[in-house]
Amino acid sequence: MRDSWDDRIRRAETLSGEGGAAEAMLAFFVRLLRIQKDIYDSLRNRRLTGEIAADATPEMQLAPGLLTMTVSTGPPALRERAERLQSNAPFEEIALPFWHKPSDHDFFGKVLVQPYLERLAAQRVRPRYRDHLRGERRCPFCGGAPQLSILEEHAAALESGGRQLQCANCLSPWTYRRVVCVHCGEEDEHQLGYYRSEEFPHLRIDSCETCRHYLKSIDLGKLGLAVPIVDEMAGVALDAWAVERGYEKIELNLAGM
Amino acid sequence: MSISRRTFLKSAAAGAAVSAFGFDAAPAYAQAKTLKIARTSETRSTCPYCSVSCGVIIHTLGDRAKNAIPQVVHVEGDPDHPINRGTLCPKGASLQQDILNDRRLLKPQVRRPGSDRWEDIEWDRAVDEIARRVKKTRDATFVEKDARGRTVNRCEGIAWTGGCTDTNELNYLVVKTMRSLGVVYLENQARV
Repeated sequence: MRDSWDDRIRRAETLSGEGGAAEAMLAFFVRLLRIQKDIYDSLRNRRLTGEIAADATPEMQLAPGLLTMTVSTGPPALRERAERLQSNAPFEEIALPFWHKPSDHDFFGKVLVQPYLERLAAQRVRPRYRDHLRGERRCPFCGGAPQLSILEEHAAALESGGRQLQCANCLSPWTYRRVVCVHCGEEDEHQLGYYRSEEFPHLRIDSCETCRHYLKSIDLGKLGLAVPIVDEMAGVALDAWAVERGYEKIELNLAGM
Repeated sequence: MSISRRTFLKSAAAGAAVSAFGFDAAPAYAQAKTLKIARTSETRSTCPYCSVSCGVIIHTLGDRAKNAIPQVVHVEGDPDHPINRGTLCPKGASLQQDILNDRRLLKPQVRRPGSDRWEDIEWDRAVDEIARRVKKTRDATFVEKDARGRTVNRCEGIAWTGGCTDTNELNYLVVKTMRSLGVVYLENQARV
């Protein structure tokens, strides 16, 4: 399953409007998603090569909206960095380091590269000139770490109820086994714990006692309207709960949680 | 970013909670304190009902505290199991009710001839009575040879009726036991 940028924007607007602990993050995320959508759309009619430096559109090269928006509405830490980037050559400094070595702490790199990688995935053009990690717990398309896990709706198909992981970088989903730690591959079910809260019935924390890592699962059987990457951010209270208990998230989201 | 994951944790512990990108995480930490969190575990297992051996995932609620009794809250087909790929038949889909059911009998009962109600009976007495009646009935109705003189060794006075929640293992033992007695009227309901 793959949701569109418009789906993500609409869902983020809705959840942001509902208030809650993630309201400010989601409001910022709405603006971020609009910029990412523009980048994604700018790549629509281009014959992509898979090499980011060659494929970059003006929207990516200048990243004007992203930096301006962050300076005016972002949190202090991001604002400071955005101001510094505005006076330099942003594209090389922002996108290329992330392209070659993705990191969930590289906010601007991730924001710029995500829509490009998603467009590559949509056009089935392999990313070139970059090493990426391989393995069943890595995105088979770009080698990214899983941002979240999606539990399919049981009624969606005869054979269902399976799990998909969504790549943090290209946002592609891939099928992965249930009852296995997504970070270290632990299969001992006594080491794996699932935490739910009545406040977020369609979200849960999938944790592993062996490696002490976790990620969030979005259960589409409980809420078919959910847009995973947005609903994941809306449940930041669960992240806070997990961090307070010493768990480390596999991949931080774009709110840094 | 200059804020590392470790810094993030430290900030959170110090009460000045900010995310790794500097968002105010205080509301998230405040809400986290009010959440009612329930821990479940997922256990992969095999449906006990028939020899198809479909994979199931059993969801058990419990925080693993020593004096807490884990509670099964849900059973679903295992989507990664090569036999059933997440599907289950109606019997398998109701497996939770086989594990947790307030109508489950916890002791043997007997309905005496002519009676309209069931009475509790001690296990030892029940086994004794069943053994005595099986012996008596088998001796009285055993057919060693049929009308044409062929050896058949049939016990025609006893029949066995199984229940839909009898497990694969129970049914194996039932067949072995009943066939050894010569019972031919054998129905174990090992099907949907």
